[in-house]
Amino acid sequence: MNDLSPDEKKPSKLAKWSRRGFIGAGVLAGGGLLIGIGVRPGNPIGALGPKVAAGAGEQLVNSWVKIDTDNIVTAIVPHCEMGQGAHSVLAQMLADELDASWDNVRVMQAPADGSYVVSDTARMFAAPFTLNAADWLEPTWDGLFTQLGKSMDLLITGGSSSIRTTGQHQMRIAGAAARQMLIGAAADAWEVPAEEIATRDSMLVHEASGNSAPYSEFASAAADQPMDHTPTLKTRDQYRLMGRSKARTDIPAKINGTAEFGIDAVPDGLELSYAAVVRPPVPGTTVTSMDANRAEGMSGVLQILNMGNFVAVVADSYWQAQQAMNTVGIEWSQSESPVKTMDDQFAVFASALDGAGDTGGDQAAARGDAPGALADAATTIDAEYRAPYLAHAPMEPLNCTAHVADGKCDIWTSTQVPLMARSEVASTIGIGADDITIHQQYLGGAFGRRLGSEYVAMAARVAQATGYPVKMIWSREEDTQKALYRCADMSRMRAGLDESGALVAYDSVFTQRHDPAEACVPAMYDIANTSVRVAEAELHLPFQAWRSVDHSQQGFFIESFIDEAAAAAGADPLDYRLSMLTNAPRHTAVLEKLAEISNWREPSAEGTAKGVAIVESFGTIVAEVIEVDMTSGKPVLTNCWAVCDAGYVMNPDGFRNQIEGGIVFGLTAAMYGELELEDGAIVQSNFHDYKMLRMNEVPNIEVALINSGDVPVGGAGEPGLPPAAPALTNAIFAATGTRLRELPIAKQFV
Amino acid sequence: MRNRVILAAGLLTVMVTACGSTEQPAVVEQIVVRDRGEAAPVVEAGAGTTDLIAMGEDAFQVCAGCHVVEAGARSTAGPNLFGVVGRKIGGLESYSYSDALAGSELTWDEANLDEFLADPAGYLPGTDMLAGAVRDEEARAAIIAYLANQSSPSGE
Repeated sequence: MNDLSPDEKKPSKLAKWSRRGFIGAGVLAGGGLLIGIGVRPGNPIGALGPKVAAGAGEQLVNSWVKIDTDNIVTAIVPHCEMGQGAHSVLAQMLADELDASWDNVRVMQAPADGSYVVSDTARMFAAPFTLNAADWLEPTWDGLFTQLGKSMDLLITGGSSSIRTTGQHQMRIAGAAARQMLIGAAADAWEVPAEEIATRDSMLVHEASGNSAPYSEFASAAADQPMDHTPTLKTRDQYRLMGRSKARTDIPAKINGTAEFGIDAVPDGLELSYAAVVRPPVPGTTVTSMDANRAEGMSGVLQILNMGNFVAVVADSYWQAQQAMNTVGIEWSQSESPVKTMDDQFAVFASALDGAGDTGGDQAAARGDAPGALADAATTIDAEYRAPYLAHAPMEPLNCTAHVADGKCDIWTSTQVPLMARSEVASTIGIGADDITIHQQYLGGAFGRRLGSEYVAMAARVAQATGYPVKMIWSREEDTQKALYRCADMSRMRAGLDESGALVAYDSVFTQRHDPAEACVPAMYDIANTSVRVAEAELHLPFQAWRSVDHSQQGFFIESFIDEAAAAAGADPLDYRLSMLTNAPRHTAVLEKLAEISNWREPSAEGTAKGVAIVESFGTIVAEVIEVDMTSGKPVLTNCWAVCDAGYVMNPDGFRNQIEGGIVFGLTAAMYGELELEDGAIVQSNFHDYKMLRMNEVPNIEVALINSGDVPVGGAGEPGLPPAAPALTNAIFAATGTRLRELPIAKQFV
Repeated sequence: MRNRVILAAGLLTVMVTACGSTEQPAVVEQIVVRDRGEAAPVVEAGAGTTDLIAMGEDAFQVCAGCHVVEAGARSTAGPNLFGVVGRKIGGLESYSYSDALAGSELTWDEANLDEFLADPAGYLPGTDMLAGAVRDEEARAAIIAYLANQSSPSGE
């Protein structure tokens, strides 16, 4: 059985892994230095060089850092940039270990090639660092995970992982190794001991002899230096860039409009045509007939294509394509899904939960004897919670530019998974992966949506059919109604309290368990008897990871129900949580700090109240207090305080941005997020009926950070989200006595 | 040992959900209207017909991105325009209008629709209809004729 107790987690292997890596070096055209990680002896290194730095003479590929003759340091990052700031902070981590001058650091997106798989991400997903591997096995694991990553196309940006995997275990090692080699080259030239050479701001300095030089002067010679595969990394007191709010490298281009998102792609030398598409209104159905008479006569139209599972109109401009698309009459096949409305979907969930009963289903985690303790409890409480389907609704609609010619395919798109997209294109249009090039653009938001690649394969099919380059753009309506979704779910929860009100038994059963595996388990709390069960049920709409994945609904279920237990015990909800965190000093510190900055213990103004929630996700503990004003009869969000412990924060400003973004995303979903079904099709279509929280509805947000120290660094992109919904509904309960067990909130106060 | 099995499921989820289905049907029908570079046939809205309503139906295609005109159909980004002529401004109950339209006491007729379509925000400041002005007078007249026809039983 899966043991829950935090004190029995296995010791981290992180430190050991961070000291290992296979490094190679090479000389750039013109005499620069190129450092790579993950190149093993015998690993063929031919094809990548031209992609990394065009021009003759490049030797090494699979590289993470270049230093050119103008003393510019370029960090080559394998993760995509979707607004989260990963490009910049990964460069910051590399540049710090290299002692590079931040003003002269550039960022380059790594090409979508198997050599750039983020093997550390593979390791994280397949076998978390806490897994207890025999020491003698470890050396083989490094290669194993690189291989595994390649075979599974794991060039992924997701799981709030960029900093804590690639940053900690690849970028920093590359920077530190490059620094040592530069020092070695300078020591040889100046004939002084290497230990006496200092580095700062991309300069080498030997004070005693008065020698100094920019890195560029020794960049070429450095490549001939022996390379330490386990360079010494800086300790925290030596950081110069890490831990500081350095300005992001991608912001200027986003301010002045030169940044190229997927939808901006205008590949050199290609004349683009444009495609609008319509997909089936109900998942799994196909086109049975198409009437394109009207569209054929419309301005700019080139082709109308019935692709079986979607229809495309190709025209000279997107506007013309979409206008013509709107006139095409399409009949769709009948769906076999029994789900026509959300009531039907919840009935499917309820039936699965009924089947599981009090003890059935798959046991996801257990401790003690929950059924027995529930039977013996002085008080028991029961509740049923519901979560709706949600769309990702990224600002940049799904789009992809594709050109298929001469047995090769070029793709320009914004994606979180370029290699998986490549594989999907390969299997869809029958061209080998090596003949497909994915040109990665900035992502105008993704939130998990761009982990799916069906839109990339669709564009490739259209481009293959036309024979000329096509930019396909989904309308906002297509994006909202015909996509992949955060799953709906239902959870039944029971708690047993003893005479003193203490929580002695906890049981939950729900139908959806995707990722991360631990999201459904309230592991941090000292509850002697815990049972967590899954009774799987079919989803009508296709699933896709949505910011914080299972934590997004489980955070709401668990932290609302803990609040119910506190209410049943007549206890202060924050103190009640503290009383169950005796084995969790970091969580305790976070909650205590939160109580302080939110003035938790002071009475709220008439009509207002505060709610609290705490969730650990993606390695970061986040607790939030939300204050709500109910005097108008509707919830008005006045304040939000968040305290986060990510172990160590690499860029405090960037981290706060992500936490604030996660909170607003979570509150948007909590207040408004809902997809309804009519005849099995989604009703909501655009931002007028799939609302975002507006500026005037967003509470003041204050984020405090705790760097608690010697623990693996946690993520930033997702952890701000899970506590937002329960903190808000708990506040509404505190203000009104009404417990909200389903979302969204706003429509319950019309 | 079981710990390992459960946690490894995380990778599988990512793989399965990130890859999706790759099974794609063949192209069922490909209508090539013209090749690229080939001059587009000159098609004016309602060319070859003097029927104002038919011309209006064609001209309405620029509005169709946001509006449907179908009895009983759910509104899209803009309100369903079936029966708009003769309807109170902001009068479709199921649609959430801007305050500007919801607060109007007037009823849509050919004359005020003409003014509104020529310059929506000028005629009704505060309207959410920020795009879609129809500057061409003839197109406007045709669209209004079409919409008026869609208001009457014969339009069904």
